Amino acid sequence: MQTQRELSSFPIAPVHKTKLAAAGFIIVEDLKGMKPSELSKETGIGMEESLDILKLVLGTDGKGDNSGHVDKSALDILKQEQSLPHIVTFSEQLDNMLGGGVPLCKITEFCGAPGTGKTQICMQLAVDAQIPECLGGLEAEVIYIDTEGSFIVERLVDIVTATVEHCKEIAGGDQDSGELGDFTPERVLSRMHYYRCHDYIELLATIHLLPDFIKQHSKVRLVIVDSVAFHFRHDFDDMSLRTRLLTSTAQNLIKLATTFELAVVLTNQMTTKVRAGESSQLVPALGESWGHASTIRVILYWEGQERYAWLYKSPSHREARVPYQVTMGGIRDVVTEDESHNDDTVDTDKNPTKRQRVT
Amino acid sequence: MEKLDINPRIIAGIRKASLRTFESILSLSTPDIERSTNLSSGDVHVLKTAVAQAVPKLPVVSALDILHRDCPETLVVSKLTTGCDVIDKALRGGILSQGITEIAGESASGKTQLCLQISLTVQLPQKLGGLNGGAAYICTEDIFPNKRLHQMIQHFTRKTSAKLPKPINFGDRIFIEHVSDMEDLTKCIKMKLPLLLSKGVIKLVVVDSVAALFRCEYEAWEMVKRSKHLTSFAATLHQLSHQYGIPIVCVNQVTDSMKTKETRKHVPALGLTWANQVTCRIMLSRTNHQISVPKQVVNSSVIGGFQTCVRHFEVIFAPHLPMLKVPFIVDQEGIKALT
Repeated sequence: MQTQRELSSFPIAPVHKTKLAAAGFIIVEDLKGMKPSELSKETGIGMEESLDILKLVLGTDGKGDNSGHVDKSALDILKQEQSLPHIVTFSEQLDNMLGGGVPLCKITEFCGAPGTGKTQICMQLAVDAQIPECLGGLEAEVIYIDTEGSFIVERLVDIVTATVEHCKEIAGGDQDSGELGDFTPERVLSRMHYYRCHDYIELLATIHLLPDFIKQHSKVRLVIVDSVAFHFRHDFDDMSLRTRLLTSTAQNLIKLATTFELAVVLTNQMTTKVRAGESSQLVPALGESWGHASTIRVILYWEGQERYAWLYKSPSHREARVPYQVTMGGIRDVVTEDESHNDDTVDTDKNPTKRQRVT
Repeated sequence: MEKLDINPRIIAGIRKASLRTFESILSLSTPDIERSTNLSSGDVHVLKTAVAQAVPKLPVVSALDILHRDCPETLVVSKLTTGCDVIDKALRGGILSQGITEIAGESASGKTQLCLQISLTVQLPQKLGGLNGGAAYICTEDIFPNKRLHQMIQHFTRKTSAKLPKPINFGDRIFIEHVSDMEDLTKCIKMKLPLLLSKGVIKLVVVDSVAALFRCEYEAWEMVKRSKHLTSFAATLHQLSHQYGIPIVCVNQVTDSMKTKETRKHVPALGLTWANQVTCRIMLSRTNHQISVPKQVVNSSVIGGFQTCVRHFEVIFAPHLPMLKVPFIVDQEGIKALT
């Protein structure tokens, strides 16, 4: 914390600023160790406001020094990150590409043209986040925000049924199925909280209220927004407003992800970018600035008869492309006849230059 | 705004700063509101939460509630039968009552036939797979095929009369509107259609076709404008769909794919902008394979007795369906899958 920062630079009401200055409080250091009652007495500012000011300036609840704010070393953060579980996708290659699955505390964005499997991946993740702890899952609750109206429960039931059966099969070998007793399709569905937003105002309001909802449902570890683009792509004449709203939405979501240690999964549409003199190409929608919003960005596309996922942006893993398929049961690996055809060979075939650059 | 259940001091503050709508409060950042209203950050947080709660929206429900239909009616998705059992089975019951279903295809592939057919089936009671309401049919391309509709009505009445509790006069509940330019179309979907839908008799909207107007009214350099109009048009349709819980069916033309890599020769027109707005995409196509339909006489009306080509009904994408293909033919009664 900058102890020399002037109090006048904080967003405090002007009335209070004058009072603070009059009582001799000029920089952050002056407020250290103050109790709200003391500050209130010295400055004549009300108790509650004093507390607010102390909270704002010192970043604590005003009781004693700021012991709640512990500096972390990079090693601590690394350890914490490694200890966090991932949400698996049920496609091993896709999981490997992402480093074990969709990570908690981060925003993962899936982009793709219509029909590439964005919604399918969302539904699969929403189910996988609920896998019982005894099978290495998170046993979490899920929030699903649907903006497009593509959430069809009967499709979800397909995936849930397949996943539950799969888990029962695994647990059956351990003679431990007693613990799985309550992992039933009904339970999985009942732990999925569904919001339907019809315009961007509803979406903003819903996201604003999420922290309160999650405080009541502490088991929530995954928030899905399918899709974030839909309402921001029509009837927006004021592009600067759109950028501002998107940035604040991204901020709210990343705050949510880190404070509650949950994964945020977004989907985004694709758009055609035309550059003068070059051929047009498909890029994720919502513009350049939105590109910074997500920590991990995966682009889904079709190539011939196969679906591919392309890790486009990730702070910890190299760019890669893996095939995957959508079956009735959900997301799965593409089964190749020759087992030696693993993702690495696919990668080198498709993309020799990129592989060289990374290794 | 004045009715928010918060400290009057806060309300006075926002009134002074002339922040009148929910939208303006939610779109401004907390420091921005603090600056313009002189409220403390705590107050602004209270205000924002109150506004967020006051925005009219559907309550949170669990997926199980939706499955058991224990939720607001607009979240319940029903299906509209296409009138052909095989195709219904492929579509897991029929056309979704939510969002935009697109039927794309080359000319004479059966798009209009399918649309006419669902304009009839929508009038059936829920028990028979209909939605118990009429249809609004917006024609942009051609004159409405009245003669063909009446031929189909005759066959359809004969086929369904036994199952219906009381006879339905199918021709009475199809409302037809011809639009010839974008201005008409906007007027139609923004004013006339909501008025008609609010009466509650209409349970299906067909736009035949979206491609015609959007493909011809814009010059090559007006593509940005076109996308803007197209998304706004689609957003209006989505909004009507959810508000009244009705399916919106849009017919689209096809265009030749420019990419040599792609295996598909035809792709639906209007590009990615439109595709992003579509919930389910269905494509119809003709094949060169000819078959002859055997002649039948049922209750003195003739069915079959001619040569026709086999057509394909394909699901390109849909949130709840795998990609699949069903061969079908068109006869006097309408669309029928080949078995």
